[in-house]
Amino acid sequence: MERKIIHTDFLIIGGGTAGCMAAVEMKERYPQCSVTIMEKAHIDRSGCLAGGMNAINAYLNKGETPESFVRYVRADSCGLVREDLVKSMSELFEYGVKKVEKWGLPILCDDDGNYIPRGRWNIKINGESLKPILAKAARSAGAKVYNWVTVTNLLTKEARVVGAVGFSLRNGTFYVVQAKATLIATGGAAGIYRPNNTGDASHKTWYSPYNTGAGYAMGIRAGAEMTSYEMRYVAIRTKDAIAPTGTIALGAKAPLVNSDGERFMVTRYADLGGDGAPTPYRAHGPVQEIKEGRGPIYLDTRGLSAEKVRDLKSAYLDMYPSQVLYWLANDIDPAREPVEVQTTEPYVVGGHCQAGYWVDKDRRTTLKGLYAAGDVAGGAPFKFVSGCWAEGIIAARAMGSDIEKMAPAEVEAEQVDAEEERAFKPLKGHAKLRHGISAVDFEARLQKIMEEYAGGVSTHYEMNEKMLTIARDRLAKLPGEVGQLVASDLHHLMKVHEVIDRIDVAQVLVEHLLFRKETRWPTYQSRTDFPNRDDAHWLKFVNSIRDPLTGEIEMITRPYEQIVPGDRYQAK
Amino acid sequence: MPVWVDPEKCNGCNGSSQPPCLRMCPGDLIVKDHAENKAYLKYPEDCWDCLPCVKVCPEEAIEFHLSFQFGSKGARLIPHVPKKGNQITWEAIDLKGNKEVFTIRTKIMQVALDEKVEGGAEAIDFSI
Ligand SMILES: Cc1cc2nc3c(=O)[nH]c(=O)nc-3n(C[C@H](O)[C@H](O)[C@H](O)COP(=O)(O)OP(=O)(O)OC[C@H]3O[C@@H](n4cnc5c(N)ncnc54)[C@H](O)[C@@H]3O)c2cc1C
Ligand code: SF4
Ligand code: SF4
Repeated sequence: MERKIIHTDFLIIGGGTAGCMAAVEMKERYPQCSVTIMEKAHIDRSGCLAGGMNAINAYLNKGETPESFVRYVRADSCGLVREDLVKSMSELFEYGVKKVEKWGLPILCDDDGNYIPRGRWNIKINGESLKPILAKAARSAGAKVYNWVTVTNLLTKEARVVGAVGFSLRNGTFYVVQAKATLIATGGAAGIYRPNNTGDASHKTWYSPYNTGAGYAMGIRAGAEMTSYEMRYVAIRTKDAIAPTGTIALGAKAPLVNSDGERFMVTRYADLGGDGAPTPYRAHGPVQEIKEGRGPIYLDTRGLSAEKVRDLKSAYLDMYPSQVLYWLANDIDPAREPVEVQTTEPYVVGGHCQAGYWVDKDRRTTLKGLYAAGDVAGGAPFKFVSGCWAEGIIAARAMGSDIEKMAPAEVEAEQVDAEEERAFKPLKGHAKLRHGISAVDFEARLQKIMEEYAGGVSTHYEMNEKMLTIARDRLAKLPGEVGQLVASDLHHLMKVHEVIDRIDVAQVLVEHLLFRKETRWPTYQSRTDFPNRDDAHWLKFVNSIRDPLTGEIEMITRPYEQIVPGDRYQAK
Repeated sequence: MPVWVDPEKCNGCNGSSQPPCLRMCPGDLIVKDHAENKAYLKYPEDCWDCLPCVKVCPEEAIEFHLSFQFGSKGARLIPHVPKKGNQITWEAIDLKGNKEVFTIRTKIMQVALDEKVEGGAEAIDFSI
């Protein structure tokens, strides 16, 4: 295998939303420094933004402030967030959005040139090309991009991250990147649970199926402190197509109704804010309706004008075109028929919930030399694209100011050799191991355990100590079987590493679910044996550290700190 | 099959080793059969229906099909991306053949027909 060694000042793992913005900020502020991006796909169309976007979901519209944003996000997350992180990211929404507008992003404006709000925190964009716009900005700023490099692990020396390794999907080159400072921006994790759809639509998930939790897993293996995995994201999405519903709920102001036409959020969740109840309850409400026999659930679009329906279709074409084909192929006119919705399999996403690296205000992880931004960073929900940009910017600035104090880092030859061996073993095994396990089979085993014992769709996302203990025991067998995974080509080698990473994430997730003995975010985290919220004992963060040598996962807690005064359960 | 490359229309991007459809797929699902000089979707079950491959093909050779489990065949959704001008046009045709056309603002970024791959010059053959 050809080995390529790269020396760089800044390494960015994952050239998605956060990674591209971080690269630009680094090159603008520290032009003399070298910036390298390693991306498993091609940065022009990778990650969540590959299909496009139709809104910027986190923005301070007229009259809002960083404090009002923190209050909203705190209430939406049932009273527990890292307020310092949420606040610092909101302070940079405008900076990021204005930049991307300058690079060519069409943002919808009124006659006076003001952005058009879509709901309280959102603005409308024509974001079909958002990803190529960001990629071009990163390249033009001078970042060196390596496309089709699947990063498999971090390199560490004396408790400091000194770079990363990965392999090229195109020619099998083994990359060893030695960096003074490393930013991880690989997004969240889909595919931990069994997906809603099967057959040739098994990847028809909402969250990018190619974000598989690699960034989380690399940090877990290296001993980084992780936070809040137990706050899983269960999204409410259109039936079958699994397209975002904000486009309909916010864009067309269509309310949720059950099969009797009842606005159940308003009747049953009035005390929590009805249609404006915290996001976990907006998934929990439909799940309960269906459980109690009042499904299916719809967004009531009946009565929309033809013009509104056209707007809706246009918005989906910018982000999730398959929704439009779904309507065409099923003879559905949303003005005549309400749009059926369903809840998705759970995802681990730091941008909608707070699973990820435990970071300080400057997005430094607990590992020296390693920073985290976007969906892979924990503690700050309600990130969306603009929050990911903000975090990329914050991390880039911190990396720049830290780098001057950093001694040059060196990688250890033995570690590199061992990583190369680990990375390519499934390919070599293929020739020898006739009865090896494919990534597809391994994934099915993992997803079956998670679905049935750790709160998947079929158990209404519910779980108890017994079920989770079974999940823990069954998962514990999987690392021992990883050695039998085989790959027949480089694409399958990537898939093997994806499943290995998912196992590490799933094990940590189950430990977190076991640890929090309350139900703080119903449906995201429904403990039938501890059905209520318990502020007296659990108003704190559940964190974990896996020992890099023994693999033992240690659970710890971190205190919650209130920065913005006010009732934690009130958005106003 | 969510997307389908029409072998009649695909010209392999003139012998390109890294044609745009193959490069723009975020899941690395499209490959090129170099002997036939055609691209095809190798891993249909892993397709996300996100359509960068469809929008980027200079020959408009890639069709978007909804998986049959989701709905009847016959409806069509076709994006047209002009070389110049910042807009994209979508043709949406329902099961009865009614057509609706959407022209939406975007920012067109040129995509090169081929692109160098970093690292080793030759792809390694791992087949046994
Ligand atoms: C379908 C959908 C629609 C959405 N709509 C909106 C919207 O309209 N408005 C809004 O504000 N937000 C929206 N969001 C949310 C928003 O897009 C995400 O929160 C945001 O893009 C996450 O940014 P990120 O940089 O963390 O991850 P990504 O942008 O996904 O980037 C992660 C990158 O890491 C790469 N990567 C992963 N693993 C590896 C590895 N092992 N080695 C190398 N590279 C790797 C991936 O290929 C990818 O390029 C939407 C999300 C989805 C999924
Ligand atoms: S981009 Fe189009 S013409 Fe070129 S190889 Fe792909 S399918 Fe064929
Ligand atoms: S629709 Fe998306 S995932 Fe499917 S082949 Fe095209 S680019 Fe790849």
